[in-house]
Amino acid sequence: MRILNLVAVLLALASAFLLYGLNYDTRMIEGRLQAREREAERARADIAVLRAERAHLARPDRIEPIARGLGLEPVAARHLLPGIGRSPNDITTSSTAH
Amino acid sequence: MSAGRGMAENNLLVLRAAAPRSRSRILALGVALAFTAVGGQLVHLALQHQETSAIRVSMMSSSASSLARPDIVDRNRRLLATDVKMPSLYADPMLIQDADEAAERLVRLFPETDLRELRRNLADKSRRFVWVRRGLSPQVAQRVHNLGIPGLLFMDEVRRTYPAGRLGGHILGRVDIDNRGTAGIERHIDEIGASEVAHGARLSARAPVRLSIDLSVMHALDNELSEAMARYGATGAAGIVMDARTGEIAAAVSRPAADPAIAEESLDPSRTDKVASGTYELGSIMKLVTTAMALEAGKSLDSLVDTTQPLKAGRYTIEDLHPLGRPMSVAEVFIHSSNFGAGQLALSAGAETQKAFLEKLGLWSAQKTEVATGPEPLKPAQLARIEQITLAFGHGLAVTPLQFTASSAALLNGGNRITPTFLARDPATPAKSGDRVVSSRTSALLREVMRRNVTDPAGTGRRADVPGFEVGGKTGTAELATAGGYRKKSVIASFLGAFPASDPRYVTLVLIFEPKGQTITEGEITAGRNAAPTTARLVERIAPLLGVPAKAL
Repeated sequence: MRILNLVAVLLALASAFLLYGLNYDTRMIEGRLQAREREAERARADIAVLRAERAHLARPDRIEPIARGLGLEPVAARHLLPGIGRSPNDITTSSTAH
Repeated sequence: MSAGRGMAENNLLVLRAAAPRSRSRILALGVALAFTAVGGQLVHLALQHQETSAIRVSMMSSSASSLARPDIVDRNRRLLATDVKMPSLYADPMLIQDADEAAERLVRLFPETDLRELRRNLADKSRRFVWVRRGLSPQVAQRVHNLGIPGLLFMDEVRRTYPAGRLGGHILGRVDIDNRGTAGIERHIDEIGASEVAHGARLSARAPVRLSIDLSVMHALDNELSEAMARYGATGAAGIVMDARTGEIAAAVSRPAADPAIAEESLDPSRTDKVASGTYELGSIMKLVTTAMALEAGKSLDSLVDTTQPLKAGRYTIEDLHPLGRPMSVAEVFIHSSNFGAGQLALSAGAETQKAFLEKLGLWSAQKTEVATGPEPLKPAQLARIEQITLAFGHGLAVTPLQFTASSAALLNGGNRITPTFLARDPATPAKSGDRVVSSRTSALLREVMRRNVTDPAGTGRRADVPGFEVGGKTGTAELATAGGYRKKSVIASFLGAFPASDPRYVTLVLIFEPKGQTITEGEITAGRNAAPTTARLVERIAPLLGVPAKAL
C-alpha cells in the first residue's frame, strides 16, 4: 500500500516534470519553427525582388540596344528566305541563292 | 485488567487503524495537489497560448489589410507584374526629438515631399503614427536608416512592380496604394477573385495570370510605332496584333505610353489607352465592312458599281480621291478606296441591311474586354441616305480600334465570330466555335481583294508589301473630328493588315494620329504613305516572332 502510494506520488511528480519538459521543448521547437518560417518568408520576398529585377534587366527596351551593339538585328524575310533580298553578312544564304 | 488490556489493545487498534487513514489522506492531498499543479499548468498554458494568438491577431489587424495579388505573365511566361515587399517609412512623433531638423533632413532625401506638411506631422505629439513615405527601395531605406533619427521606423509593405516599365502599361492597368486593382487587367484580377485579402505584408502563392500578349511582339510594335511617330511627326499612335482565329491579342500598344507604376501617368488624359478605351471614326478601313456586306448580298468582286454620277445626298456631294470616270468593279472600289463606290454599295444594300450587318459584326454596341468595359460606339441617331453613305466609308460611326480589329478578324478568318481577349487561351479546351458572321465565300473574296490592294501597282496599300509574308490590307485616312466639324489637315491614318493573306494567322491594325507631311512622304498625310509602310516594317519584324513562316512566292 505504502509502496503503491509512493509510486503514485513519484509518477505524479515524474509526469509533472515530463510535462514541463515537453512544454519547454515544444516552445523551443515552436521558436525554431517560427525562425525557419521567417527565414523562408524572407527568402520568398528576396526571390520576388530578384525575379522582378531579373525581368527588369531582361526587358526588351534594354536588351535591344545591347543586341544591336553586338551587331545583331531583328529577323527579316531575307534571313529566312535565301531568294529574297540579300544579306551581305550571310555567306551561306548568298551561295544557295539562285 | 483483561478488560483494560483489551481497551488498550482496542485503542491501539483504533490508533493503528486511524494512522493509515490520516496518512492516506495526506497522500491523497499530496497527489491532489500535484495533479492540481499539473492541471493548473495546463490551464495556464492553454490561456497563455490563447493570449499570444490574440496578440498576434491584434498585431495583424493593426496593419492595413491589402491585397495579395498573383503575378501577371505574358504568353511565354515572362514576368509583367509582381508583388515585392518594400519597406515603408513611418514616424512616431512622440519619439522624435527635433521635428524641424528631422523634416529638413528627410526632405533632402525625398525632394518631392512637402516640407511644411512633413514638419507639422512630425511635430504633432498627439499622434503615434505618421506615414512619411511608402514603398522605398532597399537602398533608400538604408540611407534613411543612416540618418540615425530616432522615431523613424520601417514597416514592410507589399508593392506592385512592373518590370517591363511602360511596355504594356495600358493593358496591365493600375493598382492603388492598398494594392487594389483600379484599371486594366489588375482590376479584372480583382473582379474574378484571383487576388486575396491579406493581413500584413504577404505575397500571393496563387498561380500567375497568363496573358495572351507576347512581350517581344509588344516591344516590336511599340518600337515601330514610336519610330513612325518620329518619322511622320505624329502626335500619337496605336497598334494591335490579333490572332485571327482565336481573338487572342498578341500585342496592343497605345502611344504616348503610360507607366502603370506612376499614377500621374496612368491618369493623364493625354495618355489614355487608344486601343480599347477610345472611339474613333476610322475612315476607309471601314470599306472592308461595306465590301463584305456587298459580297454577302451576292455581288462578286467583278460586279460593276456605277460611279460616274456624282453622289448627292441633300446638300452634300461626296468627293472622290480616285475618280476613274467609268463604272468600277467592287474590287476597284476597294483598291482605289472610292467613297462614291462605297456609298453606292451601302445605298444598294439598304439602311436596314447595313445596320443589321454592323450589329452582327459587333460594331453597333460596346465591346467588353478584360482590360476595359469598352465605350459605346458613337453612332448616328438614324440611318438616312447621308448617314448610310458616310458610314460606308467610315465616317459617322466611332468605334474602338480593338473592336474594329475583332470584327475584321471575323471577316477574314473564314467568317467565324471571335471574342477579343487579353488572356491566354488554354489550348486544351477547344475554341468556342463562334457563330458565323459571313459566308466562307465572302471571307475568301475579302482576303483576295485585301491582297490585291497590296500587290496592285495602283493599290492604296502597295507600300505595305513585305516579300515573303504575303500581306493584305486596307488603308484609311479619316479626318479627325473636332468640335464644329472636321479638320482637313488633321487625320488619323490607319492600316488594317492581315498575314498571310491567303489564310490569315494574324490581323494587324496600325493607327497614326495627326501625321504631318514629310519629305519622305512627299508632303502627303494619307495612310498609304505612313500607316502602310509602318505595317510592312511591323510584319517583317513580328512574323518570325509569331512563328509565321516566310514563303517564297
